[in-house]
Amino acid sequence: MTVTFPQKGLPWLLLLPQLLVTAIFFLWPAEQALEQAFYQEDAFGLSREFIGLENFIDLFTDPLYYQSMLTTLVFSFSVAIVGMSLALFLAVMADRVIRGKLAYQTLLIWPYAVAPVLAGVLWWILFDPSMGPIALWLKSAGVDWNHYLDGNQAMILVVIASTWKQISYNFLFFLAGLQAVPRSLIEAAAIDGASPFKRFWTIVFPLLSPTTFFLLVVNLVYAFFETFGVIDATTKGGPGQSTTTLVYKVFDDGFVGLDLGGSAAQSVVLMAIVGLMTVIQFRFIERKVQYS
Amino acid sequence: MTDVILEKVGKTYPNGYQAIPSVDLSIEEGEFIVLVGPSGCGKSTLLRMVAGLESISTGELRIRGERMNEKEPAERDIAMVFQNYALYPHMSVYDNMAYGLKNRGIAKNLIEEKVSDVAKMLGLTELLQRKPRQLSGGQRQRVAMGRAMVRDPKVFLFDEPLSNLDAKLRVQMRVEIRQLQRKLGTTTLYVTHDQVEAMTLADRLVVLNKGKAEQIGTPMDLYNKPATPFVAAFIGSPSMNLIDATLTEQGVKISEALTLPLSHQHRGDIVWGIRPEHLEVSDEQNGDFALRIQAVESLGAETLIHGKIETESANGESMVVRLSGPHLPDVNSLMWLTAPMSHWHLFDAKTQQRL
Ligand SMILES: Nc1ncnc2c1ncn2[C@@H]1O[C@H](COP(=O)(O)OP(=O)(O)O)[C@@H](O)[C@H]1O
Ligand SMILES: [Mg+2]
Repeated sequence: MTVTFPQKGLPWLLLLPQLLVTAIFFLWPAEQALEQAFYQEDAFGLSREFIGLENFIDLFTDPLYYQSMLTTLVFSFSVAIVGMSLALFLAVMADRVIRGKLAYQTLLIWPYAVAPVLAGVLWWILFDPSMGPIALWLKSAGVDWNHYLDGNQAMILVVIASTWKQISYNFLFFLAGLQAVPRSLIEAAAIDGASPFKRFWTIVFPLLSPTTFFLLVVNLVYAFFETFGVIDATTKGGPGQSTTTLVYKVFDDGFVGLDLGGSAAQSVVLMAIVGLMTVIQFRFIERKVQYS
Repeated sequence: MTDVILEKVGKTYPNGYQAIPSVDLSIEEGEFIVLVGPSGCGKSTLLRMVAGLESISTGELRIRGERMNEKEPAERDIAMVFQNYALYPHMSVYDNMAYGLKNRGIAKNLIEEKVSDVAKMLGLTELLQRKPRQLSGGQRQRVAMGRAMVRDPKVFLFDEPLSNLDAKLRVQMRVEIRQLQRKLGTTTLYVTHDQVEAMTLADRLVVLNKGKAEQIGTPMDLYNKPATPFVAAFIGSPSMNLIDATLTEQGVKISEALTLPLSHQHRGDIVWGIRPEHLEVSDEQNGDFALRIQAVESLGAETLIHGKIETESANGESMVVRLSGPHLPDVNSLMWLTAPMSHWHLFDAKTQQRL
């Protein structure tokens, strides 16, 4: 069905707010970044000089940039794998529950509604080395928790804080995927002598693979690009560079280090990565898998 | 030897719905038993209790003398063919058939041998490397059967295995299933709502009605001596003509004007029945009653004539007559019929039992 409007202007008028937001907060800055990437600017923004590809050359010869890339990969895959494993486990449990199913499912969706910065602050409080309940409990258990000093602990903290929110999303998709697996397949496997564990790994899990792959891409994109708030609220990229992901580095170099040209060049690289991941994501959303 | 025994087996679902009050059935080794009844009468429930996919609420199930109630499906040595086939979509035909054997830790070369034997028997050899979605409905059905056969179980269970196939393929597979079962000699419990399928496949039939076994017997037992009006109507196509009547000293009183003479000691309300194929065309002198013809269905080999018994009052009872060969009587004309007494079926209207 198509809706026709009396005037040609109205549809554009209705689209205008969205177009404006996109233009002001996305297209314009993107264009600015693209331009800026080829200039060197003084710290006060008073003068600038065209330097061609120099910002990019600096970037790709900077060991810290590669360090940050590695950090991002470790961080992103940890978030994706931890988040998806836990979500799958919870979904399998929830799928089995008969009584109070809705209550469990609703509770598990709540984290998703919490703003990333709030989630970050929450975990920051819980893990604060001097007064956070979890940090104190860890200390009593013999773990010397101080993510301000220990880079690995800082990484664990940002992974936990970022994963926590994403579990809800993963959970919903896995649950839907599980419920789409025909019951008769599980029953046939039971008659075929497969233990519940084996049924899961040889029948259910393979049938979930489209969901799993979709979630892997979504989670990687999330960990790459949408965890700035969490990192800023918990570790601010530290200690040292140990939790400085590529996105955090753009902010850190540009607004803290005031290297606007270098920061812009990093933004351009990130834009290219976003484009690539979007293509992958769409390719796989289109691929349908049949169950029968 | 008795292979499978259901003793007062009943099922009440967790929501409190009693799907099966109590069923008794003993199945001989190698026998082909068909559970038949209308949709929702509890056929699948009963079959799934035998498979172990539903718990047994009351009573006992024994296979080869051993109590099965608490056993897992895998421990019952049964194989099941599902209505939607339930093939594992991500596995090849070979892996679908081998899965049950692999789970039982059978040696790889033995698995290969068994799968290829069964594949040959079912004409699946060329298809072993395909995925289920690359198969036609009939081929999927065969794979589902192959998966059941390859394990050489004590009992085959089928839940409406042919209902997703077109009419022609259904007839072909029906014949094939029967031949395979004879050849393998495996005890079989087969569920269907299709009475033709039931009649052609079964050694013995169980007619289920609202979770109760109305009658158990050979197809011919059920055809010749249906125990209740339900069985009488369910078995045979078109259905038996069943008419509410009263048994008096004079005989079967169908209406004020029409009484068919009979001496019988029973008195009271009854259901009188005669199959469409047992009515005979007659004339005004010799006929028992006349039918006002309402519709004629010519099928070539046979003709079905629908009409109403002609009486003074406007609403006579509906009847179907089945005549062999082509006939073309006029609609609205009268047709005189005789109903030979040897083909009558009498049921007590209150107890619904055969008299
Ligand atoms: N899990 C269940 N919970 C409650 N009632 C059920 C359940 N499964 C089936 N029933 C009911 O039990 C009756 C028999 O079902 P079923 O055995 O599937 O019938 P059939 O196979 O003869 O069509 C139906 O009325 C159905 O609604
Ligand atoms: Mg059924």
